[in-house]
Amino acid sequence: MLRIEDVHVRRGGTHALRGISMTVNAGEIVALIGANGAGKTTTLATISGLLRPESGTLSYARCAEAAPIDIGRMRAEQIVQAGISHCPEGRQVFAALSVTENLRIGAYLRHDRAAIDADIADLQTQFPILRTRANVPGDRLSGGEQMMLVIGRALISRPKLLLLDEPSLGLAPQLVEQIFDILERLRREGMTILLVEQNAAMALDIADRAYVLEAGKIVLEGTGKDLAGNADVQRAYLGAA
Amino acid sequence: MTGGTKSVMAALTLVVASALIYGAIHAFDPYTVSIIGFVGVNIILAVSLNITNGYIGLFSLGHPAFMTIGGYLSAILVMAPERKAVMLKSLPDMLVTQHWPFLPALLAGGLLSAATAVIVGFPVLRLRGHYLAVATLGLIFIVQSFAVNLSGITRGALGLSGLSALTNLWWVYLFVALTIYVCWQLKHSSLGRTMLAIRENELAASCLGINVARTRVLAFALGAFFAGIGGGLWVHLVTLISPNSFTFLMAFQLVVMVVLGGTGSITGAAIVAVILTISTEFLRPVEEAAGLFGASQMIVAVVVLLVLIFRPTGLFGTAEPDLFAWTRKFTRRPDPSHGSQP
Amino acid sequence: MGSAYILSQIVNGVILGSMYALIAIGFTMIYGIVRLINFAHGDIFTMGAFTTLASLALIGLPFPVALVVVVLTGALFGVVIERIAFRPMRGAPQVTGFIASLAVAIILENLLVMTISAQPRVFLVPEYLNRLVSTGVITIRVIDLAIVALAIVLMIALVFFVHFTKVGIAMRATAENYDVARLMGINIDRMIMLAFAIGSGLAAVSGLMWGSKYGQISPFMGLLPGLKAFVAAVIGGVGSIPGAVVGGYVLGLSEVLFVGLLPPEYSGYRNAFVFGALIVVLLVMPNGLLGRNTETRA
Repeated sequence: MLRIEDVHVRRGGTHALRGISMTVNAGEIVALIGANGAGKTTTLATISGLLRPESGTLSYARCAEAAPIDIGRMRAEQIVQAGISHCPEGRQVFAALSVTENLRIGAYLRHDRAAIDADIADLQTQFPILRTRANVPGDRLSGGEQMMLVIGRALISRPKLLLLDEPSLGLAPQLVEQIFDILERLRREGMTILLVEQNAAMALDIADRAYVLEAGKIVLEGTGKDLAGNADVQRAYLGAA
Repeated sequence: MTGGTKSVMAALTLVVASALIYGAIHAFDPYTVSIIGFVGVNIILAVSLNITNGYIGLFSLGHPAFMTIGGYLSAILVMAPERKAVMLKSLPDMLVTQHWPFLPALLAGGLLSAATAVIVGFPVLRLRGHYLAVATLGLIFIVQSFAVNLSGITRGALGLSGLSALTNLWWVYLFVALTIYVCWQLKHSSLGRTMLAIRENELAASCLGINVARTRVLAFALGAFFAGIGGGLWVHLVTLISPNSFTFLMAFQLVVMVVLGGTGSITGAAIVAVILTISTEFLRPVEEAAGLFGASQMIVAVVVLLVLIFRPTGLFGTAEPDLFAWTRKFTRRPDPSHGSQP
Repeated sequence: MGSAYILSQIVNGVILGSMYALIAIGFTMIYGIVRLINFAHGDIFTMGAFTTLASLALIGLPFPVALVVVVLTGALFGVVIERIAFRPMRGAPQVTGFIASLAVAIILENLLVMTISAQPRVFLVPEYLNRLVSTGVITIRVIDLAIVALAIVLMIALVFFVHFTKVGIAMRATAENYDVARLMGINIDRMIMLAFAIGSGLAAVSGLMWGSKYGQISPFMGLLPGLKAFVAAVIGGVGSIPGAVVGGYVLGLSEVLFVGLLPPEYSGYRNAFVFGALIVVLLVMPNGLLGRNTETRA
């Protein structure tokens, strides 16, 4: 579905990504783990078009039949249109917009009014908080509620590929469990997810495959289970002695 | 350079400068001499505006307000009591009897401006960026309404005309030298570095124990002092002051000098002040001949836009280029620019 | 001082407030979306007045058609200025944009001076707008009523647009965070352009009203109303559209009452009063009456 080859990105003065290559197949959850500053957020921002790669290719096909397109030179708006939705780090709900307005803006590129309303109603059933607090400004929600809203806002564009940046950041453990349950459910429904996580243990547990990013380079890859068992990974990211 | 050669150089510069001023006064016609005078006053104004707008990063448009204050006070102090009795009938007696020489009157104008800056500064300088810019712009209008309405002191909208033409090139360039000297010393002193620190990172500066508010007011007052003196010099050059002498247009021209010269660069501000004053004077007859009034201001404004777009740091950035580098042929001159944004 | 006098002062204050509010809305929209205090906004107001004059006197358009022409011309000016002068500076320090807007203001003013001279012009509105309406207590002109009514209609339309249309919501989202807005598929360049178009269109209408009310226009007429509308925006809370409206009326009313109710020797301090109020508001309640948290303070 997504194939990244030898991508270099400069951000400010720093060479943030130094030739990374990775693939995400349809229906997979792929985890990207690594330390702070390794380039995880940069990778997502490059895929979603917020950053331009200096070199390398990013090709994406929304389904198996579709011909792959080069998203490396596309604008962020076009990439959303192509079916990639990015939940940025730190949740980032629109603070001044109501909960429902936040959801509506997620459907900005869709024009099927009735279907949007149906999807919003559907989300409100899945996440009741989105209904009970429908008219509250986004910044009045708690951290966990904001995370639900952000995931809902991303899903309402009906993406094929979901990019999630640190969904567990700053949330209480039971809320983190809840978020990972949602991801599990999304996978069952056929969603493809690229997940960036600090919480490497949970990420590797849920992921079909995973990549380890270090100083702008991919240093390890494998199935979630393999990497969870890897001694280096355990030492560096899973807190094993 | 050793201390000895330094003082020799200073003396030499003084002699050459004096000779140039003497030569200018005697060689040129009065019109040209007055232009050279305006060049000097604009240098004083631009370089002093740089203290707030350049060193400490406070974007002030308030110079015309301080020029108005300094201009009126010096004009009233210098004016002969007999003339005041005719022109300003309801002036308080305390002011009528004053008949000061030019220099103390100029200094008094500068001090009153500085005092005003201190009073206004403590509340206003807490504002940031363009909010401060608009507040200081408001200050121009506030001072202007006082100038119009305190007609007992200012003769209202008529203004004070027929002032003595006391400003000559000696006074102007004495104060040019003083302004540049003070600003140069300030920039390279620990106070100047404190100001730069506040500009770069206010929070960090206050964490280092710098009293940010006091330093800001100090910078604002110092700039206002020179603006007041510049105002006094200006009105005794044109022999007239009215509430409309120094408007927001003047603020714009001064800001242009600072921005084009490089915010924080004394040399840059001074050079652009010279170029802008002379070119405006040259364009004026062209403008009149072509019947295109306003064309010169428009050209300046377009140039400003182009500089902001293509070279946002101005000509010199904060740096002081070594203008005498060519005298030392064998040393390589470092690139004075900080480059433009990518 | 009779009650009729006070009432007519209040009416004058509401009219002035309507015009301030329309200019202030543009200030606040543009500030909200690009964090720029657009000093040239007052000159769009001037352009609006001159466009009206040209449409009415030169081309002979009916007044309502002229109104539409003015809105569109104002919007066009706003969009062109944004594209040429402000877009290249996006991301630069805020003060850079402010200086650029000063330069644009000077360019627009001198453009008018060069093409139609600095002389003030008489501004005539059709006869039916000058007719007097008597309400028993006070007598006012039709144009006065029209100004207030039009301003209110425009403001209601704007609030509807911003709150209940998809594009309006997208504009508010863009004002909050460019990157996240882009991730929703919003073209932020287009949203910024739209904010300039709407804000400038409203300022131009306000110029039309000003000319109709006071009967005289000049290339420099926009300077003071523009600055005062900024004061209004600050009073209401910069970035908030309802705040701009409230600020406009508060300022218009208090300015007129300041002049009308105090002894005449104080009326000359009108501008000092307005800008003094600005400084006080900035210091006492930097977020204004209705603003969200802003960054006025150092």
